[in-house]
Amino acid sequence: MTHFSHEIIQDSSDMNRVMTSDTTKSLIRRLIPQRWYAHVVLWIACFFIGFPLFYAMLVSTQNNAQTINFQVIPGESLERNWQSVMVDRNLGRYMVNSVILAVIVTVGKTVLSLLSGLAFVYFRFPGKWVVFGFVLITVMMPTELLIIALFRFVSIQLDWGGTFQALALPFMASATGTFLFRQHFANIPSELSEASQMDGANPLQFLFRVLIPISWNTIGALAVIQFVYVWNMYLWPLLIAPGGADNQVVQVGLRSLLSVDTSISYGPLMLGAVIASLPPVIVFILLQKQFMSGFAITRDK
Amino acid sequence: MINRKRFLSVVIALLVFLAVIPSFAQGVTEVKVWIAFTDYRLDWARERATEFNALYPQYNVVIEGYDNYEVLFSATNLAFEQGTNPAIVQYFEAATQDARDANFDGVPHFKPISEAFGDRTEINGLAVDLNNFVEPVANYYTLDGSFTSMPWNTSSAIMFSNQAIFDAAGIEIPTTWEEVEAACAVIMALESAPANCITWPNHGWFFEQALAQQGADFVNNGNGREARATETFIASDAAVSYVNWWKNLQDMGYYVYTGVQRDWGGTYNTFIAQDVAMLVYSSSDTTALTNDGADAGFTVTASYMPYNQETGYVGNLIGGASLWLANGLATEVEDGALTFLLFFTNAQNDASWHQVTGYVPVTNAGLELLQAEGWYDESPNSLVASEQLANSEQTSATTGAIVGAFPQIRNFVTQAIENILVNGADISEALTEAQTLSNEALSEYNLLND
Amino acid sequence: MISTESTNIIITLIPAIIGAIYFIALFMRLNRSPIIGAIIGAGAGGIGAMVFMVPLGYCTFEPERKPIDAYFGIFLITIGVFVMLGIARSASNFLFAGRSGSLIAHQSSAGTFKGWLMPWLLLSPTLIILALFLYYPAMDTFRLSTLLARLGTSRTIFVCVDNFTRLLQPENFTLQTVLFFIIAIQLFIASQNTLKDKDSVWAQFFRLSLILSNLFFFFFVVLALLLNSSYYRVVITTFSLSTAIVIFSLIISLGIAYMAYQPIRGGNIYRTLLIWPYAISPPVAGIIFFIIFNNTGGVANHIIRFLGGDGFDWKDTTMAPLTIILASVWKALGFSILFYIAGLQNVPKDLLEAAAIDGANVWQRFVRITIPMLSPITFFLIITNISYAFFDIFGTIDFLTGGSGGTNVMIYEIYNLGIRNNDLGKSAAQSLVLFMLVVGITYLQFRTTGRRVSYGA
Repeated sequence: MTHFSHEIIQDSSDMNRVMTSDTTKSLIRRLIPQRWYAHVVLWIACFFIGFPLFYAMLVSTQNNAQTINFQVIPGESLERNWQSVMVDRNLGRYMVNSVILAVIVTVGKTVLSLLSGLAFVYFRFPGKWVVFGFVLITVMMPTELLIIALFRFVSIQLDWGGTFQALALPFMASATGTFLFRQHFANIPSELSEASQMDGANPLQFLFRVLIPISWNTIGALAVIQFVYVWNMYLWPLLIAPGGADNQVVQVGLRSLLSVDTSISYGPLMLGAVIASLPPVIVFILLQKQFMSGFAITRDK
Repeated sequence: MINRKRFLSVVIALLVFLAVIPSFAQGVTEVKVWIAFTDYRLDWARERATEFNALYPQYNVVIEGYDNYEVLFSATNLAFEQGTNPAIVQYFEAATQDARDANFDGVPHFKPISEAFGDRTEINGLAVDLNNFVEPVANYYTLDGSFTSMPWNTSSAIMFSNQAIFDAAGIEIPTTWEEVEAACAVIMALESAPANCITWPNHGWFFEQALAQQGADFVNNGNGREARATETFIASDAAVSYVNWWKNLQDMGYYVYTGVQRDWGGTYNTFIAQDVAMLVYSSSDTTALTNDGADAGFTVTASYMPYNQETGYVGNLIGGASLWLANGLATEVEDGALTFLLFFTNAQNDASWHQVTGYVPVTNAGLELLQAEGWYDESPNSLVASEQLANSEQTSATTGAIVGAFPQIRNFVTQAIENILVNGADISEALTEAQTLSNEALSEYNLLND
Repeated sequence: MISTESTNIIITLIPAIIGAIYFIALFMRLNRSPIIGAIIGAGAGGIGAMVFMVPLGYCTFEPERKPIDAYFGIFLITIGVFVMLGIARSASNFLFAGRSGSLIAHQSSAGTFKGWLMPWLLLSPTLIILALFLYYPAMDTFRLSTLLARLGTSRTIFVCVDNFTRLLQPENFTLQTVLFFIIAIQLFIASQNTLKDKDSVWAQFFRLSLILSNLFFFFFVVLALLLNSSYYRVVITTFSLSTAIVIFSLIISLGIAYMAYQPIRGGNIYRTLLIWPYAISPPVAGIIFFIIFNNTGGVANHIIRFLGGDGFDWKDTTMAPLTIILASVWKALGFSILFYIAGLQNVPKDLLEAAAIDGANVWQRFVRITIPMLSPITFFLIITNISYAFFDIFGTIDFLTGGSGGTNVMIYEIYNLGIRNNDLGKSAAQSLVLFMLVVGITYLQFRTTGRRVSYGA
């Protein structure tokens, strides 16, 4: 409602001119929103973007015959598909694993990045720029590139094949997180830290009492990115954890849905895909404000 | 006053109790089994494990499933290097040489089961009879004169036809390459003709089957059985004629390529959707195909894989996988593993596995049991693979190739075929390129494993 | 190739001398002692030559090796020297001329805490994990790439740079080297001549002809090599898919963002509905599009037939890459839209109004003002999308096409080789090639576009 009245107030000058001529025209102008073409384009865009997921949800309720025949109304096989997916194929267990992994890595990464950002901004020490470069270069080294060597290292030398720490530890440190917090902290006026030091606080107390309370947007942004990233990891869990094992994550677990009974079963496959997508999508939508502001701060200044 | 008798009885009871407890406290021996299934076949295996654990409480068999053979292969290698390997691993037939060579610092990963059994005629009450296996199966898995691994899921390549379409066309199901072309000509001329006539997955296994049917070896040195294989024959005449026939079928619009290599799922669906009249496939899915076809409204008829009429029919290969026993296990674990292997492949389980999946019964006892139960009368399709194997002449070609880097070689073959079918590459050139690449890979493999 | 010992020394000395000369010139420009410059330059040059050769044991120059190995060795030395000289130059600029690069923001000492132990403690978890799980496997990848190694046996054989030269198809080697040098030189010149204050017609013509001749040679190379080597096919597939994904993503997302950034009713809801695919994982995108574009049971063909068309074969070499591009763009749109909305909202309205008053129409305002103002975001998004197209695409390909139908990209081939074919050495070598490619692309990006990025009036 507020939007509507806002537009009316904006249009008041127009309205004055129009009132003198044709009242129906002004009525139409009030009813059709400004920039109607934008709405049309956006509707079309939202439709195309949303279509794959709607279709996936539709197929989740159908059996194979209905899917192949392109039935547009939902079928009744949701129960059966749910059974195959969550119980027979154990996807429920994998979802739990993914949640635990994502939460732990997100928290770990955030903490480590906070500490590193603090170190880079609020300290001067010999070799600082060398260390900075050390961290910077890792941006060029995504794990996918080192996947084979990392795999051998973790499985053979560390003997962590199939374990939880193998899934979590390699991702606990993040160059992007460190830079995000470094940027954020660098934009904070130095008076805050001077005041803190005068109060006799040590760096960690400064971090907890002063920095973190004003950094929630950035923390939220990092948390969203990391949660989605860890949840969606595929190549690493594929290599390091066996297919049917109990601590497999959901993305790899989806592979076993490719053939539930014999041939490809569309319903369970789509249902699994939809279920596996719910947590990250929900997290992302809930925290999108933080995500935006966390990045906007580094954009504008 | 303490009754002396009561006192004594209590002491005796305590002593008996103390004597019994240690046997309860004796640890249950864990036997880990890794297989490459994550679907209903894994479920079946786990049910058998539960039964076994109930029958033999001193053992606890735990079965873990992997997505496919390749992933299982890597995981197994690593497990051996870490010392956390399972007792039993399922390796597919093409990895037989890899399994024989697999070692860590010179210590082989696996131990031949005949060596493990030794002279024993029975273990834990189960009879040891390694002569009970169906001949082609026994031949495949006998290396250097002894059984190396326990055969489990075995299949052959057969053809499934949509009986409804054939009835409408009024023709017989073809048995040779020529007959396939003729049948397709008739079928495609029908008014209610399907989109295409025939399909099969672009998988190296079918290529090898075609070579075996023509009596051609896949690799040298007696198909790798007399000595270590060093050369492949991917560009041999037999191979070229097969791929020629294949490409011809595609050019005439009879064969449809689903566009993905090793596409078991896509070709299966194409057949069930009645977009093709014939499907050359693995017999391991006979039961499923028959049932799914019935659900879709048509009868599925199984028959022998078509062969080259010019060379005549020599024989078909087996496919599938076997169970390998790890080396260096503690005695209880090894005995437990061996007992489980015998249990797993006994007559009832062999028959049940066949009925649930379609893999052929590997033991004669299982075969007889099925026949006695009248199973084959109910499901004639299920007999076709076993009969085809029984009718195959046993030569070096039909026994199956043993060669290192086999999965890689298969990938070269399927890549070449895709090139031919999709990009129109010249058949001889593409196959020769695949042969060159395979020989290179093989020589590298041999360098590291000799 | 005579005696190996003396050749090795000569090979190390030549770059050292070149480095010394370069630094003498540099230091003379800085009005510093040329002797120190010579020492630093010689050191940098020598170390640059040795950084690859010592671990390899100068094996590329052994007499038994083919010429291509020697050329590859020279190539490695060039890279090493280039990098070391660059580092030495930045370091000397920083130390001697007081000029700091843009990355190192100046900091006052106000507000910093005392002590040097604390920062190391704070940084140690991050540094340890990075060293252990990134740097160490990186070193190991280098080591693996020089070996003949397979999964399943612990024996390995040192093969020098064979895994790399094999990728280059030695049969066409001379042709390839010539073409690559031409392209490299031209690209280098192009990256140097970016923005000049007086862009004369000749300069623009020169640049245009460079670009065109590059395209011509590139096309020629593509034709010659496409027919010959499977690895080049993989590289070209990677490039074409990535380019398509980046271009489509950016154009479509800019268009949509342009509609959504203006204050309209329900703007926030639209925005949410547009960006949520960012949270979908690449494998799930692959699965969903796999079913939609399935030849037998897919709804795409159904809709096409419904509209009167014939339906396509989505798995052949033209269509399969298209499905991958569609799936990837669908997933990547959200991220780009979000940033473009933010960027569009930050375009100063007074600039646009001033232009409107000057008589520029909507399109001209868009092209002359909005797009340049968006250049930092576009730059950022190009890098993000390239990274997505190179790496994250793995899950999508694995579920959607399994690598068939012309969708075998470099990251997929690396996985294929290493895990399916058990060939670890070649897989590691290809990883390094991909790494070099990414570094090279990012470097070119920074050099060509980075300077033109306008950060506002």
